[in-house]
Amino acid sequence: MTGFTRRAVGGLALAAALANLGGMAHAAGEKVAVITPYLSQPGTQFYVEAFQARAKELGWDVNVIDTAGDVAAVISRMEDVATQGVDAIVLNVDPAQVGAGLDAAVAANIPVFGMDAGADPRIKANVTSNGYAMAAETSVYVANRIGGAGNVVMFVFDAFPPVQARGVIADAVFKNHPDITVLDRVTPDVSDGGIADSRAKMEAILQANPEPGSIKAVWAAWDQPALGALQAIEAAGRQNEGIVITGIDANPQARDAIAAGGNFEASIAQDFQGIGKTTADTVARVLGGEALKANVIYVPTRLITSANAKE
Amino acid sequence: MARVLRHYGSLIGMAAIVLFFWAALPDTFMTARNWLNISQQLSMLTVVAVTMTVVMVMGDFDLSVGAMASLAGVVAAVLFTLGAPVPVALAAALAVGLAGGVLNGVLVSVIGILPFVATLATLTMFSGAAFLVSGGKTVFGRDIPQGFADFARSGLPLGTLDGKPLVLPALTLFAAAVTLAVWVVLDHTTYGRRLYAIGGNAEAARLAGVKVDRLRLSAFAFTGAGAALAGLMYASRVASANPVQGDGLMLSAIAAVFLGMTITRDGQPHVLATVAGVVTLGVMDNGLTQLQVDSYVRQVLVGAIIIVAVSVSAIGKRAMRGR
Repeated sequence: MTGFTRRAVGGLALAAALANLGGMAHAAGEKVAVITPYLSQPGTQFYVEAFQARAKELGWDVNVIDTAGDVAAVISRMEDVATQGVDAIVLNVDPAQVGAGLDAAVAANIPVFGMDAGADPRIKANVTSNGYAMAAETSVYVANRIGGAGNVVMFVFDAFPPVQARGVIADAVFKNHPDITVLDRVTPDVSDGGIADSRAKMEAILQANPEPGSIKAVWAAWDQPALGALQAIEAAGRQNEGIVITGIDANPQARDAIAAGGNFEASIAQDFQGIGKTTADTVARVLGGEALKANVIYVPTRLITSANAKE
Repeated sequence: MARVLRHYGSLIGMAAIVLFFWAALPDTFMTARNWLNISQQLSMLTVVAVTMTVVMVMGDFDLSVGAMASLAGVVAAVLFTLGAPVPVALAAALAVGLAGGVLNGVLVSVIGILPFVATLATLTMFSGAAFLVSGGKTVFGRDIPQGFADFARSGLPLGTLDGKPLVLPALTLFAAAVTLAVWVVLDHTTYGRRLYAIGGNAEAARLAGVKVDRLRLSAFAFTGAGAALAGLMYASRVASANPVQGDGLMLSAIAAVFLGMTITRDGQPHVLATVAGVVTLGVMDNGLTQLQVDSYVRQVLVGAIIIVAVSVSAIGKRAMRGR
């Protein structure tokens, strides 16, 4: 019988713990579920923390659900919160992968929002950065720095739609300067991360254009090729020819390179906190009864140069 | 008292969990829609866990099932991108699963490596192969045939409830069919009884004329094919495939079999008990999500439930032996 008592006490303790958790759930305010498989990634953490901070001001009851990389679990948890009847769902995963979950939310009449997720007719609005604008900023930076004249090498990746959009804008900007010539439009092999192959491609281009001043700038559609090009230029001993390099994304390695004051001069940083806060504001607008006209909402990005790379 | 707890302790615990959620979520938990939901969410884990039961009956393990599920998904998806028809891609993925299972079987039974070590090694191999085949990328979007993606969203209409259609999901039906098949094989065929005999005492089984090596090999083939099947179900559900997506299935499947073992009369793995274990895990996920319990707390609680269930069972066993 002592064994039974011990078990009974254990069972009661567990029940009490569960009941306590249940009690905690019934706080006041709108219920919003944030579901992501990527919470362990730094960018996602910034979004989610900023979203939570804004949601707290709005008095919401936010449940952040991390499925630790499991996309099918995102669908399952969307179904669960749809059953529970939350007021809104915020996603940070490609909607193409969670169609079944979106169907469940639509069937339950629960608005779904994307936090840098991608567009889908079933999503009220996706809050993200404008790839076109980012490319415009860096390509115009390049054009201005070289005085609107000279040879430019472009690193692009047209197979991936978000990056393809960047290339289109840079093409247009360079074409609008009659004295700028696009020497080469390179698509690096990205299977190793993109730096090594970009470096190899850039080394070949440097070899083919040995005259100082024959290459004025390198415009890269993201940071890895820019870093590869920088390595190639430094390895060739041509870092003092004034070749201007720009990237996009402003990852930590790129920021270091920009801060060092070498050829890599500029990149663009997305405002992750801004995306989180704007997502919360967008949810608030829809919960307040507003019908959104645009289903993609852009948060401004920021040009990173040696002046602010260390911030 | 000890006898009651030994036999029914875990079952009572499982019922208590369901009753708790029913009470805490009176409007949404104990509804046909929610249970159909849960059944669909659990379909992939069910297939992995019931086929895992086949090797666990013999006292063996297969740690490679999650990696195999991932591998099968990317094999099918990459074949889709190469323009292969859906049946061809699915058959190829299942063949990979079967071959992987046979490889595990050979390592364990013919060469005689401990299952833990052999399947840990093949886990690594299958996972590496999944990255190789996919180039580390997620295959999704237009590369996935609409028919394949639609399968996971289809189902048998059961009528309407509250003005909305109620559907028995295709994935649930599929998992039920696999469960039924494995249940028949394990509980109602000589083959199944021999596997249990090996689990009871392999040496005695051998002396009794059971072809132990061959049976063990075939049992691993079962588990490998089951893992591949689950991987394809997963790929259909998310309409995409990446080289790690099935990895989480392995630990949950083993946990489900162990949970199931705590409710069986003989303390051995049984298919229907495994299903009860799977349902317990799924109900915890569903209920705690609806209660807005933090996802990390949820994870800790699920682990704690497994410990409680297995402890109750162990204490009950000891009590019955009179210490």
